[in-house]
Amino acid sequence: MSENMKPVPLPRRYFTPTVIVIAVIAAVGLLFVLARLIFGIGAVTNLSNEFPWGIWIGIDVAAGVALAAGGFTTAALGHIMHKEEYHLITRPALLTAMLGYTFVAVSVGIDLGRYYYIWHPLIMWNGNSALFEVGMCVMIYLTVLYIEFLPIVTERFIGRVNLPGFFKRFNVSLDKLLRALDRGLDKTMFIFIIAGVVLSCLHQSSLGTLMIIAGPKMHPLWQTPILPLLFLLSAMSVGFPMVIFESYLTSKSFGLKPETNIMANLGSMVAPLLGIYLSFKLGDMVIRQTFVYLTEFNTASVMFVIEIVIGVVVPLRLFLSPQIQKSPMGLSIAAFLVIFGVFLNRMNNFIVAYNPPYVFQSYFPSIGEISVTAGFIALEILLFRAFVMIFPIVSVPQHSGTKAKFSIRSV
Amino acid sequence: MINESRRKFLKTSALIGAGITGLSTKSVKAEPKYVLDENRMGVLIDTTVCIGCRKCEWACKTAHDLPTQPIESYDDRTVFEKMRRPDAKALTVVNEYPPKETDQFPINVKVQCMHCDKPACVSACIVGAFSKEENGSVIWDTDKCIGCRYCMVACPFQIPAFEFEKAWHPDIRKCDFCFDRTKEGKLPACVEICPMEVLTYGTRKSLIERAHQKISLYPDRYIKHIYGEFEVGGTSWLYLASKDFHELQFPKLGTNTAPGVSEAIQHGIFAYFVPPVALYALLGGVMWINKKKAESNKNKEVHHE
Amino acid sequence: MKKLIIIILFLAPILIQSQTKLNSTHANLNLTCSNCHSCTIPTKENPCLKPCPRESLIRIDQKPEEGPRVIVIDKLRDTDIYAPVKFSHLAHAEMADMTGGCRTCHHYNPPGNVIGCSDCHETTRKRADITKPDLKGAYHQQCMNCHRSWSGKTDCNDCHVVKEKADLKPVKVKDEKSKRIHPEVKAPEKISFNTKTDKGKFVTFYHNDHTGLFGLECSQCHSNESCAKCHSQIKKPAEIKKSFAEQHKKCSSCHEVKTGCNKCHSNKESGPFNHKISTGFDLAKFHSKLNCARCHTTPSKFTGLIKDCVTCHGTWSWDNFDHKKTGLVLNETHGELDCESCHKDKSYANPTCTDCHDDLTYPKNLPGKLIKR
Repeated sequence: MSENMKPVPLPRRYFTPTVIVIAVIAAVGLLFVLARLIFGIGAVTNLSNEFPWGIWIGIDVAAGVALAAGGFTTAALGHIMHKEEYHLITRPALLTAMLGYTFVAVSVGIDLGRYYYIWHPLIMWNGNSALFEVGMCVMIYLTVLYIEFLPIVTERFIGRVNLPGFFKRFNVSLDKLLRALDRGLDKTMFIFIIAGVVLSCLHQSSLGTLMIIAGPKMHPLWQTPILPLLFLLSAMSVGFPMVIFESYLTSKSFGLKPETNIMANLGSMVAPLLGIYLSFKLGDMVIRQTFVYLTEFNTASVMFVIEIVIGVVVPLRLFLSPQIQKSPMGLSIAAFLVIFGVFLNRMNNFIVAYNPPYVFQSYFPSIGEISVTAGFIALEILLFRAFVMIFPIVSVPQHSGTKAKFSIRSV
Repeated sequence: MINESRRKFLKTSALIGAGITGLSTKSVKAEPKYVLDENRMGVLIDTTVCIGCRKCEWACKTAHDLPTQPIESYDDRTVFEKMRRPDAKALTVVNEYPPKETDQFPINVKVQCMHCDKPACVSACIVGAFSKEENGSVIWDTDKCIGCRYCMVACPFQIPAFEFEKAWHPDIRKCDFCFDRTKEGKLPACVEICPMEVLTYGTRKSLIERAHQKISLYPDRYIKHIYGEFEVGGTSWLYLASKDFHELQFPKLGTNTAPGVSEAIQHGIFAYFVPPVALYALLGGVMWINKKKAESNKNKEVHHE
Repeated sequence: MKKLIIIILFLAPILIQSQTKLNSTHANLNLTCSNCHSCTIPTKENPCLKPCPRESLIRIDQKPEEGPRVIVIDKLRDTDIYAPVKFSHLAHAEMADMTGGCRTCHHYNPPGNVIGCSDCHETTRKRADITKPDLKGAYHQQCMNCHRSWSGKTDCNDCHVVKEKADLKPVKVKDEKSKRIHPEVKAPEKISFNTKTDKGKFVTFYHNDHTGLFGLECSQCHSNESCAKCHSQIKKPAEIKKSFAEQHKKCSSCHEVKTGCNKCHSNKESGPFNHKISTGFDLAKFHSKLNCARCHTTPSKFTGLIKDCVTCHGTWSWDNFDHKKTGLVLNETHGELDCESCHKDKSYANPTCTDCHDDLTYPKNLPGKLIKR
């Protein structure tokens, strides 16, 4: 079946009523970004000396990185495990990861007090710092993602370079450059694909290490030395659900037939991953005897229970059910719950669990912070739609049966 | 087919997981960027002597070119009504804890950076802007800082403060043990001005010795605990008190260093880049084998046809 | 061994030298070396003194008038933002006289005169020896303890004036040796305590008995009391329930408080100490002029003496007793008799005449002539 599927640009009318609403959200977010640049972090956010990190780090960065895990999990499945039937989902997953990581970088940028020094870690190293590791990995991985995306660009433009006006004279040389790039990448792509997976494993786990240094400031329900492992396992479990969910949304949005088969296959792999994650999470809880904190009734315990029950246990059960496996709708609901669970887990780790010794006013994100976060998510959706329309990303059934000339290069 | 791939995938992920846990539990010793000097300096704060005159606050602000009210205004004791914390505009503050039951006087506690021997901020800083100096100070390099505030997340004493109100070039501010003054042979500003000599400046070693001596000389006056002797692996600034430090709102901290296991994990994952390279090689191998298998399958199919 | 001899030979002159000095000061201190020194052979170079304070060891008390009247504290004038403080030493010494005396502030004194703060406390804060505070710290730690409890305030300008505003004229110290600054504290004669106990509600405390008769030092009871005892400007917190031991703390150093309740507690106000009522031994006749310690030689121990004269005086004979002191000059006949001939019992009270005389009795007939004592 996959033989006659081919990724093509999907020309549609860009603006629909939903898209306009999303665009407004994005615009509001950008306005607050502007305000942050002009008036400073203090003016826009509720951050303080007690709560130095808010949702811009907890959601935009931590959850953002986790939810972009679809990129490396599908790359591992499609290319490293060499399951060709999954190749048609690697492109949307790659695009999500690329956009996701781009916005992670942008979010870090606006959260930094001195965003113009964002390049400092490249030359000023501190090997002891988990943040340094995350920063470096994310920067390199972002580059790798761009490189992985390049063949899609060359595929779209080789033989079709058509610059307007003055730039016309460069058309031929640009076309040559694209061809050369394409040839070079064809031979070396496997290096980047493996690198991408390795880098992802590293920084997904290091993101967990990040909060370990907060020590007793972090609620014991979450603070554990195996945080890096939990982060890695949860990132791995959320990769496929992310692809399933997003594939479902794309098909709805563009009026395509959902890839039921692939979704079901991916779905069948989620349950074991979630199971491993859950067993480590609960095992850790039993070993450290942190379950005693669940007897208290407070924000932390409630959030933890929601995170585990709705975010892990329920979707685990759903993915194990044969009825759900058959229904794209059911799969995407289950997938959404996993996404919600990991999202909540990151937010809990970075915000809910963070409990400094001296608190004057507890933290709740300001309108500005929420707007920026929502705005970035909106922008991501808008760009995803634009990319899908411009570049050959989503595969549609081909009647001609001609083989794709430029599919993503694999070994 | 699917089952097989799933098994393989699980195998790989399990391997990665096992690798990481294996390394994290093994305590890989972090290579310190600095060597702790035998004769590093410190300050012993005797909270039983402090009268809460807040001259240290004034001296600190003056020494660090921060805006301040005239010195006479520091006699105003109404500021003690609410607990204060150091921030970007006041690197040290004195708090007051009203007398309880048999206490004669309120207890005043000066708060500032503890200058840990193994500082979390130094370990955490993404660009290495923090450093533990030979003389015991933990200082911060404004030229490196990118304003990520990870130091604030890491600090167990909640000390580094950030200039949130600044849109351009905000600074992290915290007590720097008057690094510029001590470099010139002067005393830290607060130590110099303190009328009661609540703050004793000396080598950390001699201060601990002195503190133990005080405790044994006046067992009624002090509890048997020097805060900072062992907390988070030891701090350069040390406290003596007449009652449990928890009552004076000191955080209850263990004797493990502030960076804790995070450095061990960090260095575990990155031990000479062996684990990443091994993972890379492993994935490369898996990729190669799968490709071969796929090719031979294809060939077989062709053959069958 | 050789080395030891050499060391001893080397040390000998130093030891002898210091020993000679000791005669004047150390020797009359009634102390063992280990009270102050941590090593067995202290030398001038290394006196190995134990850390301060050693207040319990050496005690030299002078009268307030013996000290300086005003001290201008200007040792720190170079580094201080404040002008030198004119410290009324006399006033403070007088106040201290009511509690611990000189020791209230001069908590350590080597043999000799009372020494000043700056003799031990260094003026520089940056120093190697941190076992004692620097001079500025020492002053303030000493002053604030009382000042703070007295006024509850820590304001600097209570004592200090900033340099610019200070009157920099030299201080004139008038010599008025006779005049006290602090009015003399009049000790109460008696204090009647109304206690909460059912049995023996009243405790009548005769202050003058304790200070005069029993010869207690003020500081034996009034130790660690600051000016605030009388002058407190802060309202005292509500009385807290004290334990039995705490309530009886001050008395318990002399009195047996656990069993002898009714010695002090009674249902009505009791009279002052009366040696005859309390012990059965009347002092009024011959012992009224003695102070307690004349007989009760062990300090603060007043029990255990037997009423018989022998206990203190030994056996009477013509060698150690002049009968004139009793107010009766014996006539010649009786003047040659042994004491025991007339005084049959050990109390040497009334004589027995009937052994020799059938018709004479004491005090109707006297063996001599009464004189005015």
